[in-house]
Amino acid sequence: MFVLLRQLARTRSRLALPRGEVPHSLALRHVDAGSCNGCEHEVGLATTPAYDLQRFGLDVVASPRHADVLLVTGAVTTRMAAALRTAYHAMPEPRVVAALGDCALGCGLLGDRAEFVGALDDVLPVDIRIPGCPPTPDAIAGHLLAWLDGTATTG
Amino acid sequence: MSLERIDTGAWREAIAAHIGDGARFVGGWAVGDEWRVALSAAGRETIVLGCRAVDGRVPTIVDFVPAAGWDEREAHDLHGLGFDGHEPLRALATHAADAAAWMTPVDGDGVHEVAVGPIHAGVIESGHFRFHVVGERILALDPRLFYKHRGLERAADGRSPEDCLPLAQRACAACAVTNAVAYAHAVEEALGLWPDRDLRVARTLLLELERLYNHLHDIGALCAGVGFAPGTMAFAALKDRAQRLNERLTGHRFLFGAVAAGAGAFTVDGPTADAAREIVRELSADASAAWRELEFATSVQARLGGVGVLDHGAATALGAAGPAARAAGVHSDVRSESPRLWYGGFVAASPRRATGDVAARMELRAVELETTYEALDELLARPVAAGSTTRSAEPRSVGVGRVESPRGATLAAVELAHGRIARMRLRTGSYANWPALAHAATGNLLPDFPLINKSFELCYACVDR
Repeated sequence: MFVLLRQLARTRSRLALPRGEVPHSLALRHVDAGSCNGCEHEVGLATTPAYDLQRFGLDVVASPRHADVLLVTGAVTTRMAAALRTAYHAMPEPRVVAALGDCALGCGLLGDRAEFVGALDDVLPVDIRIPGCPPTPDAIAGHLLAWLDGTATTG
Repeated sequence: MSLERIDTGAWREAIAAHIGDGARFVGGWAVGDEWRVALSAAGRETIVLGCRAVDGRVPTIVDFVPAAGWDEREAHDLHGLGFDGHEPLRALATHAADAAAWMTPVDGDGVHEVAVGPIHAGVIESGHFRFHVVGERILALDPRLFYKHRGLERAADGRSPEDCLPLAQRACAACAVTNAVAYAHAVEEALGLWPDRDLRVARTLLLELERLYNHLHDIGALCAGVGFAPGTMAFAALKDRAQRLNERLTGHRFLFGAVAAGAGAFTVDGPTADAAREIVRELSADASAAWRELEFATSVQARLGGVGVLDHGAATALGAAGPAARAAGVHSDVRSESPRLWYGGFVAASPRRATGDVAARMELRAVELETTYEALDELLARPVAAGSTTRSAEPRSVGVGRVESPRGATLAAVELAHGRIARMRLRTGSYANWPALAHAATGNLLPDFPLINKSFELCYACVDR
């Protein structure tokens, strides 16, 4: 185990991630509404030591009831629409919806239109837009932090 | 590859004769009112048999080829084909409200159901698992997928074959290269094209880069399955290094856009190849050291042995593929028979003990990584040119490509009519393995399921399409 920890320490020092000096937090609940699994891979990596989303007060939580943000990937398929709405309504208010990736944003949709309800916009009110195919872990963290900073200054 | 039309009345006998000769079922698909089955035998070309539906029905083969179960259920749900003798023909892609339409009937004292998904607790793709349990013991598992069905195959209908590669590629990010290369092979076979040496080398390099980051990811995911955070984090960091290498070589962390149908689409210059080779060497040294740590981590090893066993018989009957099948002693890897790629002298990996359990599936990834490091070292020894294809045969109506993904043999098939796609079928390694995963979970404890699930680490996206 010590070899693993030393390797991680080396990774961390090589990347030299700046300390996150953010005095607030966001709990994220991810829902895959019909993605290709690329966005999931990148969100997964964002919470590991190479990116360390947690240092900015951002973390993924297991239940929508614990979440501030619904982080949705993929254009919304007909078979996922009901579960997505259920997750949204299970969240406490105020709640925020983030469209993660080009599919969720409705760009260049691949497939048969009849299998989709539409882009995330067509199903839920979208507050944060994170473009990319898929967005990199850096981009995911950057957009969430920019939104946090925006609310911090205006709110 | 050839398409052999069989009289519907003789369908079962024809398939049975090929199976008796040692052929394996590798995919089925409906096109119009016809039904197709692809069969593969070691050392021989994949063959495709076809028969016409009579009153919308064809005879089932699922009683002696259980591996065809999901293909027949899907053809029924998405193409309205009936299968005489497939009883009960449970819903697969159609999400009926009535649980009896898709669940295994389980009855008895103390049996209860545990429903999980489609939304899971972590950052995971959407899909539903229905467990039937007594206490904590799993009696049966019905996976219900297709929540992410996007109609990707239907979207190809009537379009030109070159245009539809993104549909296959983006069916799944983690198998993007495999899907794209399998599709390109299918199209090239139908158009009578053969890839030159450069193209074979370039695509093989991409396939091994894909295997590298996926196997590193899968070992990390298994650590997560047993709650061993140092392993999860170390392998996640290693996977990220592999993906940064992907980006450096192709401009994309998942290697999107580096494959085209009928042509090359990817080059590496000399200095970049040298640098990449050095990165792979450093990565392999660190990954091997990390793997040794896992081998000596008692709290990890104690969880792996004898859990989620898929034995040789079940793996063969259910048509399991890739590391899951090899861990059960099925000596099959499409890389050893891929003349359209650059795998000269390739020998399929096998674990020290083909026990078919979580331990064997995990170890197999580490063993296969060694082959991948060697292949990458060789492939990156010189600059990589784009390559091209040349006309080598007469065009034909059907083309099939089979490529080994990190999860097993993936089949792509295209049927052309007047130069347009009449049918595109993508049957990935994950698709082949889902029934095997459900089988392997049976008899185990429910809390071990995340571990069993991670040891297969199947995609949902390329199954649902």
